[in-house]
Order: sequence, then structure tokens, then C-alpha cells
Amino acid sequence: MLSYLLFTLTIGGIYAMLALSLNLIWGGVGMVNLGLAGFFAVGAYATAIVTGAGAPVIVGLGSALLAGVIVGLLVTYGTLRLRGDYLAIVTLGLAEVIRLIALNERWLTHGADGMSGIVAPLRSMVGSQAFNLGYLVFVSTVVILLWLLLRRLDHSPFGRAIKAVREDQELAAFAGKPVLRLKLQTFAVSAAVASLAGALYSHFQSYISPDHFQPLITIYIFLAVSAGGVGRPAGAVIGAYAVVAFLEGTRFVAELLPGVDPLQAAALREMLVGAALLLVLHLRPQGLLPERIQPARKT
Amino acid sequence: MTTLNLDRRSFLAASAAVAGASFLPGSLLAQDGPIRIGTLTPLTGAGGPYGPVMVKAVKAVVEKVNAAGGVKGRMVEIVSEDDQTNPEAGVRAARKLIDVDRVSAIIGTWASSVTTAVAPLCWESKTFLCTVSGADAITLLPHQGYLVRTQPNTALQGRKFGEFAVAQGGKKVFYLSPQTPFADSQYAAIEAALTKVGGESRKYIYDDKKPSYRSEVDEMLRYAPDTIVLGGYTPDTSVLLKDIYRSGFTGTKIAFGYSVNQKLLDTVQPELAEGIFTISPSPAAGSEAYKALVSLTGVASPDPYTTQIYDHINLVLLAIAAAGQASGEAIRSKIRAVSQSPDGVKVDNAVDGLKLIAEGRPINYDGASGPCDFTDIGDIIDCQFRYDQVRAGKLTLVKIA
Repeated sequence: MLSYLLFTLTIGGIYAMLALSLNLIWGGVGMVNLGLAGFFAVGAYATAIVTGAGAPVIVGLGSALLAGVIVGLLVTYGTLRLRGDYLAIVTLGLAEVIRLIALNERWLTHGADGMSGIVAPLRSMVGSQAFNLGYLVFVSTVVILLWLLLRRLDHSPFGRAIKAVREDQELAAFAGKPVLRLKLQTFAVSAAVASLAGALYSHFQSYISPDHFQPLITIYIFLAVSAGGVGRPAGAVIGAYAVVAFLEGTRFVAELLPGVDPLQAAALREMLVGAALLLVLHLRPQGLLPERIQPARKT
Repeated sequence: MTTLNLDRRSFLAASAAVAGASFLPGSLLAQDGPIRIGTLTPLTGAGGPYGPVMVKAVKAVVEKVNAAGGVKGRMVEIVSEDDQTNPEAGVRAARKLIDVDRVSAIIGTWASSVTTAVAPLCWESKTFLCTVSGADAITLLPHQGYLVRTQPNTALQGRKFGEFAVAQGGKKVFYLSPQTPFADSQYAAIEAALTKVGGESRKYIYDDKKPSYRSEVDEMLRYAPDTIVLGGYTPDTSVLLKDIYRSGFTGTKIAFGYSVNQKLLDTVQPELAEGIFTISPSPAAGSEAYKALVSLTGVASPDPYTTQIYDHINLVLLAIAAAGQASGEAIRSKIRAVSQSPDGVKVDNAVDGLKLIAEGRPINYDGASGPCDFTDIGDIIDCQFRYDQVRAGKLTLVKIA
């Protein structure tokens, strides 16, 4: 039971990082990134390949960040003139392209077999129970640090500038804000955070494959950010943990229901995820922790 | 309309209560008591058509065993989780089965990626894993014996394709396949079968989403093969067959049973598919275990995966009885003693086998999917294959061997 809780909390932490990434780009600049699973995959594969070649884990994490930034910049450059729905479609396509590359470039990614035996740092030395505990502490620390940083970013002039771009791009440009640079920077940071989440997942699970990066996870993260509150880092984090608790908790609830066979329970769980999203949007469209707009400073 | 007043504090409190309550049942579990076995099958996602029947078969077997007094007096309990045909979700479900339910074995993982993701959790926690996945890499994992599979690996399937091509008089084989996890290993086995008799072969990998395969077929004609092997799935094979027909190719065509199936024959013009041979792993239709499975589930011709999971649950329960202990380690040490003991009495179901074990006699389980004998790394040694040919627009059985 304990190791199950440790595992669930670690997964919650990784979802929280993805939620922070989405919150930054969606809640911050208002760019809809449906390709979250793709950036998650980029980070996971980058570190798996680099550490697989013998580099230490820290270099693996670094290269995941770098790979995320590069792909993030490429996408923003490629989609400069797109906003809203069109950007969403392109990013959705991008995630699929990344998945297909992972599937077909067998020399690099081992194709559909996936990459197994990714190093789990210190695991052979301390044993799996201590590793699980240590990894939870590590992931949670990263989440807290990211949350503090992104919260700080929100309150900084940079944070106000990107929200100005979100509200009205032309007006922000007219007011002298470098819209293009802001978008590039934010997307790159957001992509890097998602890639880092992928890298941490990779080292935690020791196995990744193209099947891991189906759009399903993107949907869970959108649910997390919508439930938590778009535009507020704390909301994204709480939303992510709530989604994982919900996904796991429904297993036990379904078992308690009498006369429900496993197939019905499975279908019920999927329906509950959809119903939860609808309920949140209906009852609290602004999310659990709504965005705080700072009043303009009095002069 | 009433408005629902839900402030943040009470929402958080309520959700915490729900989340907390949902973790309760686990802590109330007794360590002794029933033997727990987990099924981890796809109930939703791409494998969704197969999983539910698989669970049904397992439950039916367990009901029978419990009605006959359980395993060494202990009742058997099945915990079923959904792997959503997704390794990320599959790992979460497996964690719950292992850590909360404390199952001694997980049976029925279907997608190769799910099995590869779940396998490390199993061998680290000393939980036994039985799978129906086919990717060759699975049994090559460092699983320390905690894994067996009943699906023939792709190398064995490839060998059957190669040997069949040779038996049809093939000397020059062209292998056309989209990018799949098994394309390479399957081709290697075909190539080996041909080199053995002095023949030759070539491989061509295509993109499975193209509307036409003219250039692929031109490539094929340039090689001038006498036999072609089609490694794709139904949608791309339908398109490919059109272009092969136009090219006037008259040699032997061999394809997978799951790709050239009744659905394909219903949709393409009859002349396109005429004469194609299909090969597929065959359940041991006609065996006692197969008949028992049919009467248990009420399905007239169970799919291969259902026959395999039926064997998983029987084997696991027999191994637990033989070891006198319900743990993954016990199953690991005894699984081959009940599946392939050379002087064992042949049995085809757990209830009969349990009686024999209680009498202290050795047994050899032969199942619904085949003889269920395993190599050291957990692959099955042999299984039957079914060969059909499309004759006058219908799949006609050539042989089961």
C-alpha cells in the first residue's frame, strides 16, 4: 500500500509539471498547445538516448531540457501566424509526428519495442523501496521549485507582458511589447518544463515506448489545468494531483459498487473523467483557484 | 433552478475525503485468506474487443475451482483492472494490483508495450506475469523467470511463413510490410528458412497510410519473385492487393490471417484476393481444454487470446497448488513442473489437475491454446498454426499443423 501511495504521488508530481507547462503557455500567452504529449516524449526520449549512450543522468536531464527548448522554438517559428484553433491543430499534429518518428527511427528509438532498461539513478545501490521514496522527494522538490519560479514569473513584468499578449496581441505590440520574442521565450520555457517531466518519467519507469505518448495524457492535463484554474500555477498543481487522485480513486469506488463487472467499471471510469470535466466547467468555470489579476499600481 | 453553492474550502475538503476514503479498502485487506490473482487486460482502447471476453473466461474457471473447494482449501479471488491499451495507464493499474491487492500473479497483458512496461514491476516485486503479447524483445528482458507467454513469438511465426513458402515451391520471396514491431524479426526468420534450401529473399518496408502502392509493386516486379509475403494489416493490404492485381503477378501470395480476413474479402473485388494463403496461430481446437472453454464462456469459437488466458489461470492455480504456497516465487518455481513434466498425467483443466496434485501425482497441462510448454526464457516451444486459402472468395481451410 505504501509503495502504491509513493508511486501515485510521484506520478501526480509528473502530471503537475506537465500542468505547469500547459498553464504557462495556455494561461500565460493564451496559446493552446495540444501537443503536450509530444514534448513529454521529446524529453523522455532525449534522456533515454543520451544516458543509454553512457552519459550521467544529470547530462540526460540537461539534454532533455535542451531538446525541449529546440523543438519548442521550431514550433513557435513555424506557427507564428497561427492563433487559436489553428495553432491547436498544428501542435496536435506535431505530437503525432514525434510519436511517428519514435515509431519509425528504429536505429535511434528501437521503434515500437520501445527503450527499456533506462537508468534509474542510485536504484541498484539503495534498493527499490528507498529509490521510490527518494524519487518522490526529488520530483516533489522539482515541482515546488517550478511552482515558486512560475509564480514569481507571473508577478514579474514579464508575466504581465505575456498576459497582455494573451488579452490582445495587437494592443500589446502597439504598447511596445516584443510580442514575437515573448511568445518564443514562453513557448521554449513551457516546452522545456514538459520535456523535463518526460525525462523524470523516463528515469522513474525505466521504460518508454511510442504508445506512452498517445493524446490521452494531453487530455488528462487539460482536465487538470481547467479544474485547477487556468492562469494560476497553484491551481495547475492542485488540479494535476486531483486528477491523479481521481483516476486512481475511481478504481476503488468501482470495486465497491455491487453488480458492476470489470468492463462496466472500466467504461464507467472513462465516463466519470468526462463527466468531471463537464461538472467543473459548469460549476466552477474559473477553476478551483481562479487566476488573480493584480490591480494596476497607483501612481 | 437552484444554484449549487460550492466554495473552494468545502470542495477541497470533500475531494480530500473522497480521495482518502478510496484508499481505505486496501488497508483492511487481510494478508492471509483468499488467493488473489490479477487480470490486466485491455477493456478500453485498441484492445477493447478482446479484454472483456478474456476476463469472463478467467472468472468462469475460478468459479469452477472455488465450487470444487478452492486451491488447497483456499478460495481464489480475481481482481480485474483495465490497462486501457496504454503502457502509462497499464503501469498505474499494475501498481495497484501489486501493492494494494497483493496479487501473486498478473495474467493476460495484451499490447506488447504494456507488457514491457509492466514486466519490471512484476519481477521486482516477485509477482508472476503471464502475457499474450508477441514482441520478441519481451522474453529477452531480464525477468529472472517471472514471465511466460503463450503467444508464439514473431520469429516462430516468420519461420512458419518461410517454411510454407518453400513447401509451395518458392525460391525467390519478396517480403512487403509496413513498419511494425515484428517486421524485422519476422523477415529474418523467413530469410533463414529460404537460405536453408538455397533460395533468396528481399524485404521492402512501406508506409501504411498511402492511397496507392504502384512504386512498391514496381520494386517488387523488378525483383521478379515467385512468392510474395504480405506483412501488413487489413486496410493497407486491401490497397496493396489492387496494385498487385494490376501488375499481373501470378505467383504465390501469403498473408497473415488477421489481415486477409472475412472483412477484407467482403470489401475487395473477389479476383484481387483469390488464391492468397493465410497463416495464423491456431488454438488447439478440438482439444478437451478448448471444448471446456467453449462450454464455460458460451462463445462458439473463442479468439486466440481467450484460449491463452484460460491456460494462464489454469497453469497459475496448478503451480500454486504444486508449490503449496501462493506467491510469485512459488509459481515461478513450479510452473514448468505442471506445464511440461515429462512423466506427468495429461490434464486439461485446473479442477482435475488439483485432484491429481492432492494425490501427489505429477501432471502435464495441455491447454486450449496449445501444449503450453515453455523454454527457459518463457517462450512457448511449439503451437499449431492454421493455413487457409481464399478459394472462390471464401477462406477455405488447407490444414492445421
